[in-house]
Amino acid sequence: MLEMRGICKRYGLVRANHNIDLTAPPGKIVGLLGENGSGKSTLMKVLFGIVRADAGIITYKGRVLAGHSPRESIAAGIGMIHQHFMLVDAMTVTENIMLGWARAGRWLRPREIAQLIEGGSRTYGLDIDPRAIVGRLPYGKRQRVEIMKAILRGADLLVLDEPTSNLSPPEADRLLEAMRRLREQGRSVIFISHKLNEVLDICDDIVVLRDGEVTGRCAAAGATRAELAHMMVGRDVTTPVNRVRRDPGPEILIVTGLSHTDETGIERLRDVAFSIRSGEILAVAGVDGNGQADLVDAIAGLQRLHHGRVSLAGRDITRWSVQARLAAGLSYIPVDRSGTSIVPGMTVEDNLALREFNRAPLSRWCCLDSARFRALAASGIARFAIRASSPDAPARTLSGGNQQKIVVAREVGRDPKVLIAFQPTWGLDPGATRFVIDQVLALRRAGGAILYISAELDEVLALGDRIAVMYNGRLSEPARREETDRTAVGLMMGGFAPMRRAADAHPA
Amino acid sequence: MSEDGSVRVDEVDGGAVATATRHFVEALAGADWLRALLLASAAVALALGVTAVLIAISGKNPLVAYAALVRGAVGSIDRIAFALNKSTPYILGGVGVALCFRAKVINIGAEGQIAVGGIAASWVALSTAASSGASVIPAAIAAAALGGAGWAAFAATIRLTRGVHEVLCTLLLNFVGLLLVSEVLHGPMGEPGAGFPQSPLFKRQAWLPNLLAGTDLHIGILIAALAVVACHMLLWRTTFGFRLRLLGASPAAAAYAGVSFPRCAFAVMALAGGLAGVAGGIEVLGVHYRLIEGFSLGFGFNAVAVALLASINPMAVLPAGLFLGFLEAGALAMQREVGVPSSLVFVIEGLTMVFVLCAIGIGIRQQRV
Repeated sequence: MLEMRGICKRYGLVRANHNIDLTAPPGKIVGLLGENGSGKSTLMKVLFGIVRADAGIITYKGRVLAGHSPRESIAAGIGMIHQHFMLVDAMTVTENIMLGWARAGRWLRPREIAQLIEGGSRTYGLDIDPRAIVGRLPYGKRQRVEIMKAILRGADLLVLDEPTSNLSPPEADRLLEAMRRLREQGRSVIFISHKLNEVLDICDDIVVLRDGEVTGRCAAAGATRAELAHMMVGRDVTTPVNRVRRDPGPEILIVTGLSHTDETGIERLRDVAFSIRSGEILAVAGVDGNGQADLVDAIAGLQRLHHGRVSLAGRDITRWSVQARLAAGLSYIPVDRSGTSIVPGMTVEDNLALREFNRAPLSRWCCLDSARFRALAASGIARFAIRASSPDAPARTLSGGNQQKIVVAREVGRDPKVLIAFQPTWGLDPGATRFVIDQVLALRRAGGAILYISAELDEVLALGDRIAVMYNGRLSEPARREETDRTAVGLMMGGFAPMRRAADAHPA
Repeated sequence: MSEDGSVRVDEVDGGAVATATRHFVEALAGADWLRALLLASAAVALALGVTAVLIAISGKNPLVAYAALVRGAVGSIDRIAFALNKSTPYILGGVGVALCFRAKVINIGAEGQIAVGGIAASWVALSTAASSGASVIPAAIAAAALGGAGWAAFAATIRLTRGVHEVLCTLLLNFVGLLLVSEVLHGPMGEPGAGFPQSPLFKRQAWLPNLLAGTDLHIGILIAALAVVACHMLLWRTTFGFRLRLLGASPAAAAYAGVSFPRCAFAVMALAGGLAGVAGGIEVLGVHYRLIEGFSLGFGFNAVAVALLASINPMAVLPAGLFLGFLEAGALAMQREVGVPSSLVFVIEGLTMVFVLCAIGIGIRQQRV
């Protein structure tokens, strides 16, 4: 029996957890529901002893856990399945499970352990071969190896952090089945998710977090999806975004029939089609990992396409290089700041020139024009109020908000025809978020066509002229903002409400 | 062994240590070059100290030995000329390797590229008519560059088309390149009747001109210095250099900026191979005046060492290459004069390299890209 009482945790000015209570009785599955950044992960890190709470009490099996380390948590019988597995790819399942396990002893007895694994695998329906090499197992099986590892180490409480976000539907079903068997065996499970249907399907109790606080607490039996969606996404946006109604111009970006299957055979994109007009924002909501990354990479030219067409201002750019697309007026703000849109070790100046360094006026005859570099940096820093000690300072010395200003200066500052913004406000404080949104809106006023992808429902609803949802590689038919609402979008994000196939309404 | 959870804790602590280290380093960074010089001097002193013990164990007086070392390196114009000639291939090879390392292309194939460059230059020098005059040297150097570039391009092609890691294919092609020298010397290019695997002496007009009358100093060191300046400009002032820096700093950002890894990797490998080839050409045209078996033994690996010693900074390759060249020249003289075991030459070289690399290790991680 786990009891967490009054957990508080602050990161600087951000209140990650505020006065949170959570109990996980034996033989129950507790669903912890919330959007990205709502405080779920922080709460679990506090539980596992990865971070210290500022206030609050944790009792587990009648003992108070305070100032504990992850090692002590494991010893106490808490198992945590992270999204990134702690497994050694080159070793077999048995070896991985023996690794760092005191009970395996100094003299390793792989055969005994393998028998334990096979036994456990049968009991919980995990279907694990102890002799398999972990690196050759699919993602879903590796996850089950992690679960087995935790069970064999005596975990009576298992915490699964977004366990289904990278699983295919059959694998997800299998995982849910294993969780039911864990419950039958009298173990407690905390299931972190933002997929409403799974939570409703499997949990006994549900706790909803938003902005670090508990906003709802109910038994799964009586709860409805709409209720949960409302608790999860909450009130309207606090800062009303100043929008001007304007009639959109001609279609600038047209995408038809995009499909993509990755190397592991998972379908990432399924027949995605949409178009965006000049001066229009198409906002795409969706939980991370439903194909958004593949969609933006495909449009930006970072991923080769096998099926589908992309055209920009009437020209088919499906086979164009990144540089050619850029020259044609396609800008792209990727989600990953450190290492993709910003090179931390390069100077502010170089980062501002990152994507156009090889074109006039920044370079001529393959030689960089350092005067032009400096001029570009000076104007970018002034126009977008980038706070840097000097243009020669490495970008890593800047705050996240100022790094994103560099990206915005580079991508929006060139007045592109099309802007793809993939979670451009991720990890930013409210001020920087506001700045990015204002720049996106300014581009809309200037006639840019914008594809705005976000996991934040509020942003999508505030920004989109039309709104669509990505779920499991499909994009819903974009609806005008006036014709949709929070609940409908929230349901679609959770995989509810039938997703109309884009192709049905948009014959290619 | 650690339980899986504790990894997280270590990360937290590691972050704090890294932050503290960064503050420390940034505090010191005010006197950048001064600090580097002090650290390097300390490292050299440490290496000499350890080697002194070894020399003493071998029954010689370390002070006498070191006096011989200094005399051997800088004791006379002839010795300086010898040391400069020795540095030349290290600098030429090292600057190319440094460019490759910048783009995170781990080319350790300078050894083979130097060998093939030497063969190509020798072939031109031996096959042109005596009447061809002064154009022999440029032609031979150009052939050396092409040979080295071709050899590197071969490795790059294997890397890019078949996915064999460049460390493996460049390393293995080194042995092929070295054996190719023996092969041609035992066959088409060998001197008939010579007891040693070597080619006939080149004609006089194929000899590299001397820089200083009365010494062995040839113009190779000038070519090397020019190459260093050119590579410095290439890295910092051209779009190609920007691409290399970008690839090295972040492959994901490079892809985002539309930089093609295969094209850049191929080009930088070929460029480094060409420079190494020129090093091989200069060695046969300027030092031996003929192709000799094993003429390039160890050059390529020293080039890698020089590139690392220079923190893969092209400009710094010049002092690093000179340092190694003078050290080796001195050590060889020390061995000859004092009679310390020849292996000690490698010990002193190796130890110095290791200590200096330790001293500048922090610098490499902090450098600007």
